[in-house]
Amino acid sequence: MKFLSNKVKALIGALAVVVLLPQSQVFAADPLKIAYIYPSPAGDVGWAHELDRGRQAIEAAFGDKVESIVVENIPEGPDAARIMNQFAAQGAKMIMLGSFGYMNDGLKLAKQYPDIKIIHASGYKLADNMGNFQTRNYESAYLAGMAAGYVTKTNTVGMVAAYPIPEVVGIINAFTMGAQRTNADATMKVVWLNSWFDPSKAQESARSLIAQQSDVIFSIYQDTPSVVTVAEEEGVYVVNTSSDMKKYAPNKLLVSMQISWADHFIEQTQAVLDGTFKGTAFWGGMADSAVSMESWNDDITAEQMTELEATIAEIATGNFHPFTGPIVNQEGEEIIAAGDTISDGDLLSINWLVKGVETKLPK
Amino acid sequence: MVDSLTFLLAGTLAAATPLIFAAMGELIVEKSGVLNLSIEGMMATGAATGFVVATVTGSPVAGFAAAAVAAMLLSIVFAALTLGFLANQVAAGLAVGILGLGVSVMIGKQHEGTTIKPIAKIDLGPLSDLPVIGKAFFGQDPMVYIGILTMLLITWVLTRTKLGLIIRAVGESPKAAHSIGYPVILVRFCAIAFGGAMAGIGGAHLTLSYTPLWAEGLVAGRGWIVVALVVFGTWKAPRIALGAYLFGAVSLLELFVQGQGFAIPSQLMSAMPYIITIIILAIISRDARIIKLNHPASLGVPYLKSE
Repeated sequence: MKFLSNKVKALIGALAVVVLLPQSQVFAADPLKIAYIYPSPAGDVGWAHELDRGRQAIEAAFGDKVESIVVENIPEGPDAARIMNQFAAQGAKMIMLGSFGYMNDGLKLAKQYPDIKIIHASGYKLADNMGNFQTRNYESAYLAGMAAGYVTKTNTVGMVAAYPIPEVVGIINAFTMGAQRTNADATMKVVWLNSWFDPSKAQESARSLIAQQSDVIFSIYQDTPSVVTVAEEEGVYVVNTSSDMKKYAPNKLLVSMQISWADHFIEQTQAVLDGTFKGTAFWGGMADSAVSMESWNDDITAEQMTELEATIAEIATGNFHPFTGPIVNQEGEEIIAAGDTISDGDLLSINWLVKGVETKLPK
Repeated sequence: MVDSLTFLLAGTLAAATPLIFAAMGELIVEKSGVLNLSIEGMMATGAATGFVVATVTGSPVAGFAAAAVAAMLLSIVFAALTLGFLANQVAAGLAVGILGLGVSVMIGKQHEGTTIKPIAKIDLGPLSDLPVIGKAFFGQDPMVYIGILTMLLITWVLTRTKLGLIIRAVGESPKAAHSIGYPVILVRFCAIAFGGAMAGIGGAHLTLSYTPLWAEGLVAGRGWIVVALVVFGTWKAPRIALGAYLFGAVSLLELFVQGQGFAIPSQLMSAMPYIITIIILAIISRDARIIKLNHPASLGVPYLKSE
């Protein structure tokens, strides 16, 4: 049912864009037209909200040298392809694709229009004029895990996650290893929602995990404050991804794993303006200020904070990688030998959980 | 263990409440011989309207009232199409449902992703503090109890009152009802409007109590469950309510079982609420005679007044 209402909105969006078109030709020095397409509404928090903050950063940095076209809430599929072609027809010279599933349509567009530069969220296919961007959320997950290890009394962390894709599995592993570094007895329970979007189910999952003794909840890629508000209400700590949700859990937010596209987007826009753009794979971590820790809870002691800050520095300078051996999987087999570090390629396709996670990976 | 039982019991009652409200409305609509498939859209409209009004005015009561009115207006569009223009009820229901989803997005646009303080739960002192059952039976929000009362009231109206007889007569044989002087179109119109209001209240319960936030798509298919519950509950209010509780319980059990780390594929677990609810309702309703007796004979058939 959802896609039809989206179609209607896409039409409205397209109409709005057509209406705006003649006005844009009035401007003298042609600004760089940048088109943005988001998979969900750019709400108060969450994935699309962070992409939109990136857009705002570009506008703030380049002023009237750029002009934005934004279309929100476009499902991956034929609709998205149509909108991308519309962007091209409207003279957009740079396009930001905000979701993994836009990849193949984006690549087609890139081949068809070599003069349009494309940056694509979380994909893996590249072209001369198409790059992609991702964040190393496992870095912030490791630190959030350390904090969880400090504060848990029941030694049980509950996680609410959408689907077991490598990105999510990597985050769960990093969080677990962080927690076990500060608390060797910490164990993790995971509830898979098997749905990208169902806030009610996410809330009930959090409640069920709390009922099963979890006193820290990790809300993974939930675009609404659903899980966070339950944690605040039930009085257990909560960690969330993408956006800072302090205002939804003023007392119990342990920390937020903030992502930020501003620097990368500005850099890419500059490259397009300078004519030096080249499609590259950007995987930004703490070193690139693409991920950061926001709103540490006051219950973390000064001593613990020192350790956390030292670890942040180690990760940001590249002296420490959260996936450094020995790492043992759930079955007790050593996957990464002592002293070894996982390769980016292996991390991007990770499909095993570390020891300490009680829930098995759905196959 | 005690915590888990409390969670399951209390959660089941809360989870079933939106379904019960919407299903009781749809029951009346179908008993009057009209199939309204736009529940999902009406619930979404009610959810968004209730949330926005409660946020702006600070009054949950105003939120529920506005939700009922908004969804009722939507159902009147459906009534105009099906009763006035004799449109196909299935097609009109789907169209209005889609319209409702769009309307909900428009209404909730400014409040996308925001939260609200959930409506207060009742507190009966020592009763509410009882282990396990206290929170489940004596510590819910008022709408949970109103939902149960509504179910009892509707059972009574349909089986024990003249009004119920008229509604059923209109649904069984509109011609016969017309010939003895009952206003078929008016009865059906009122039933549809009532159904709309109830779906709106059900939707508002989602955003004002069960999941106190608004986000597009929040209803997440519950409107379709309602349609299935009414049919599989063989148009009997208590069975429909039982189905709703069952659905709520199994969907919570699924999350609980996952957290326990049992080696059952979570995809299968996610399908369980649907499978189990349908199987159990199909078993208790397998008596063909009962289905025949309760199925409104003219369900989905447009009525054209013949002079």
